[in-house]
Amino acid sequence: MEKQLIISVGREYGSGGHEIAERLSTHYGIQLLDHNLLDEIAAKKNVKMDHLRTLDEKHKNPLSSRTVRGYSSSPEENMLYLQFDYLRDKADAGESFVIVGRCSETILKQYENMISIFVLADRDKRIERIMRLYHLTESEAVKKIREKDTNRRRYHNSFCVGKWGDCRNYDVSLNSSKLGIDGSVKLLTDYIDRRRQ
Amino acid sequence: MLAQVVAVIIFIAMFLFIVTEIVERHVVSLVCALLTVIFVFGLGMHSMTAVIETLNIKSIFMTEFWYLSGETSGNSSGINWETILFIFGMMVMVEGMARVGFFRWLCMRIARLVHYQIIPLFVTFMILSTILAMFIDSITVILFLAAVTIELSQLLKFNPIPMILSEIFCANLGGSATMCGDPPNIIIGTSLGYSFTDFVTNTGVIAGVCLIAVLAYFYLLFRKELLAGGPKTVDYDSLPSPESTITDKKGFAVSCVIFAAAIVLLITHAQTGLTVSTIGSLVAVATLVTSWKYAILLLKKVDYKTLLFFIGLFVVIGGLEQTGILEIMAGFIGRISGGNVMVMIAIIIWLSAISSAFVDNIPFATTMIPIIKSLSATYGVDLSMLAWTLAMGTDIGGSATPIGASANVVGIATASREGYVIKWGLYCKKMMPATVIVVLISMLLIYFRYL
Repeated sequence: MEKQLIISVGREYGSGGHEIAERLSTHYGIQLLDHNLLDEIAAKKNVKMDHLRTLDEKHKNPLSSRTVRGYSSSPEENMLYLQFDYLRDKADAGESFVIVGRCSETILKQYENMISIFVLADRDKRIERIMRLYHLTESEAVKKIREKDTNRRRYHNSFCVGKWGDCRNYDVSLNSSKLGIDGSVKLLTDYIDRRRQ
Repeated sequence: MLAQVVAVIIFIAMFLFIVTEIVERHVVSLVCALLTVIFVFGLGMHSMTAVIETLNIKSIFMTEFWYLSGETSGNSSGINWETILFIFGMMVMVEGMARVGFFRWLCMRIARLVHYQIIPLFVTFMILSTILAMFIDSITVILFLAAVTIELSQLLKFNPIPMILSEIFCANLGGSATMCGDPPNIIIGTSLGYSFTDFVTNTGVIAGVCLIAVLAYFYLLFRKELLAGGPKTVDYDSLPSPESTITDKKGFAVSCVIFAAAIVLLITHAQTGLTVSTIGSLVAVATLVTSWKYAILLLKKVDYKTLLFFIGLFVVIGGLEQTGILEIMAGFIGRISGGNVMVMIAIIIWLSAISSAFVDNIPFATTMIPIIKSLSATYGVDLSMLAWTLAMGTDIGGSATPIGASANVVGIATASREGYVIKWGLYCKKMMPATVIVVLISMLLIYFRYL
């Protein structure tokens, strides 16, 4: 039986982290979990969750939520726990998958077959990528990158002790600008293969 | 003057920290309590007497803390150890009951009694939530009811959110009916010297009338949603039998006896003279002795953070009381109402309800007790009437928003963790009108009965 492999990919917006996650998923022939995680949970629990997409990867508002004996009224936090439980169940069941973001490097830390990666990139390369992908002007791309990164940082840091993007939280922190997407994937697969030996 | 300003600053800071949850609320209240002792009583008032009165340790060693031979005027000054001990005892008892599967058994037994039909289930679970919350904390009630509701909804294919919202509302309503139903009531009862019977015959009657209105409101609101998909055929074999939920038969029987004894002791405590601190201690000891194998486990499960929060809170409120701030606030309410009792009641009930919808109702009720005492003494208004008004406002107001009461948070979290995420908009749309209706009915009943 194939050894379990869980790859957690954190990423800066515009760094190509998502594309790298997709390539890793294809390379190892394992499932990619990102926005489709909600669909998976909805199907498993037989509930409708389309109206909850706005809560995905969002930080909680402390003024409009309250915690009692570990239970929270925050929809964002509850959504997060729902995803955490689902991911842990999958990991417990021995399944292999690539998970993008969602604090996965922290919540799946105890699984020895989990490899955590954070993908970053030079600012100019990120702007260039976002302008190209979404047909934006430079100022629009800068604004989008700032918004997305702020959201990801606040989301991550409001639920985890370790800080978003801090290299001490990840097995590998990689600047994708230096090797490009192909080179980064090659380097990562080499690292993952060595870890699995 | 300095002591007054510092007391108010500490109080406001405590509220802000509690609301923002930057630090756990028991840590906030204990730090604020320490600051109150040092800066308000020490540096501001230079009064050791204020410290001793607020810590209130000597009350534990007095006979009336355990046994009352006659009428009592209660004690609203400083740490209310009677409340702390009673809540501790009830927590131990409830943990004992949960361990043996009592709550799950009760829910499943009632579900089977109504043959798993959705509308009868909806109505009986609301009534069950109300009745259970009269005697045990609403968190435990909702924890079990919501879990069973979700389980049944998956088997019977209905949306559990309407039922969970109704159960939350009824748990808060049930809490208002008795002295031990909701922490504000315990604090009001022990501080002002009211008995279990006093509550049942006053707030209990109001809650009973409101329950009828609530049943009608939620039935009309949710009927179509619950019945969507047509009638269901129930395969009894696919459902867990009530008996299978009992984890320890002997322990279950013992728990039932202890729970029944606690109810009898509470109902008769005005006659027997046993105080709530004695009753709390007795049920805790009985639970621990009869479940001695699990005593450590049960003690570990007690929510000490809440008890510590209470202790700190009482000291901070003591700071406001000792410096005369609460009397100033009482004077303010008195002036606004112009001494008119109807206006006074309206202010207390709506102010309590609106505040409790957004902030923890326990600090609010604790703050208001000396205020209503002062209002009663200054304007000659019946104190008990103001006490029932305060109890109804604080207990019911919490239902209006997702953050208003502990039961709401636990219900929302339990549903959300199973995929039924409840957002602010949905919650308030359904629960706020119910809250307004019930507060209005309560106010009118108070006018009708006491004026």
